[in-house]
Amino acid sequence: MKHGIAELEWNDYLDGRATDEVRDRIEAHLIGCLECWEFYEQMSGATQELLEAGEEARQGLTLEDRQLHAMLRGVFARLGTTEAGAAAPSCVQGQLNLLETVLAPFCGTQAAVSALHAAAENSPAHSLDRVTPDNWEPFLKKLTAIAAAMCGETFAGLVWESGQF
Amino acid sequence: MEEKQIIENFLATRTEEAFCALFEAVCLRLRRYFLLRGLDAATAEDLTQNVFVKVYRQAGELREADHFYGWLFAIVRHEMVSYWRREQTRVEEVGLESLGDWLEDGLMAEPEVMPALRLTDWLKALEPAERDLVVLRFVEGLSYEELAVALKLPLGTIKWRVFNVRKKLARVISASPAGRARHRIN
Repeated sequence: MKHGIAELEWNDYLDGRATDEVRDRIEAHLIGCLECWEFYEQMSGATQELLEAGEEARQGLTLEDRQLHAMLRGVFARLGTTEAGAAAPSCVQGQLNLLETVLAPFCGTQAAVSALHAAAENSPAHSLDRVTPDNWEPFLKKLTAIAAAMCGETFAGLVWESGQF
Repeated sequence: MEEKQIIENFLATRTEEAFCALFEAVCLRLRRYFLLRGLDAATAEDLTQNVFVKVYRQAGELREADHFYGWLFAIVRHEMVSYWRREQTRVEEVGLESLGDWLEDGLMAEPEVMPALRLTDWLKALEPAERDLVVLRFVEGLSYEELAVALKLPLGTIKWRVFNVRKKLARVISASPAGRARHRIN
């Protein structure tokens, strides 16, 4: 403790989390103590720089979707074939559900389900329950083509974007 | 869906679908942590995947979403420590032999270029435990409570350490060109 201010009190004050009593005491002291004022200036400046540098790191270190999905596949591979086998369809199921929610408002639920089945049957999966991450892309291309025929190119683009893993 | 909802959904259901959503929401943060702790991109991604395998398998241990990040980064730090131990052992075993195939392969691989960040320069002035604190607090934004869980230390100790590392960095920053420029402006 220096000049009656404990380190934890300084820390809370710099974070803007000090109690009213502590904040008032520190601020009253800072008015009359040049040494503590300089210390505060240096510490608050460093805190600000650290927060900005943290933001810079968050902006600078990003990850492309391609890398993200490759890593996810790697995780399932490490979880073992049994778990991975079970996991992959669930991820696919989530994407299929999403596509159905995209399609349904434009063409109705029945037509949306039919479009999904038609795309699967005309892709290497041959049926909707056999669509996997490995044969997802040709399936999605077929579905996009069907969506274009049903509702136009703009809507097809939305389907294509929504279907990306 | 918001991050908190994604975490709650995963903890409540623990389905693969919820896990995929969690992975997408959190993966970037883990990879970033490992990169800022000085690992190359391939190793950072490898360790991130290991962490998620543990998250998937050990999620039953955790019920409260509020404790998720503390719990998660405790696993992350354990993975980091295990990695350094393995590396230490490997370095001792390899000794001064000529370059092995694994190392030559590594040298041939095109590394991902790490962007120039002020933070990486500052982190060099710190001890490993201090780097942990700075990355988790100022980059990942963990609360003191989450830090206490992640670092397995009392809350008061965490605050005291954050204060001291801030004091140490204040000297480093004020001596840096950016710090001197800011001082002149003030």
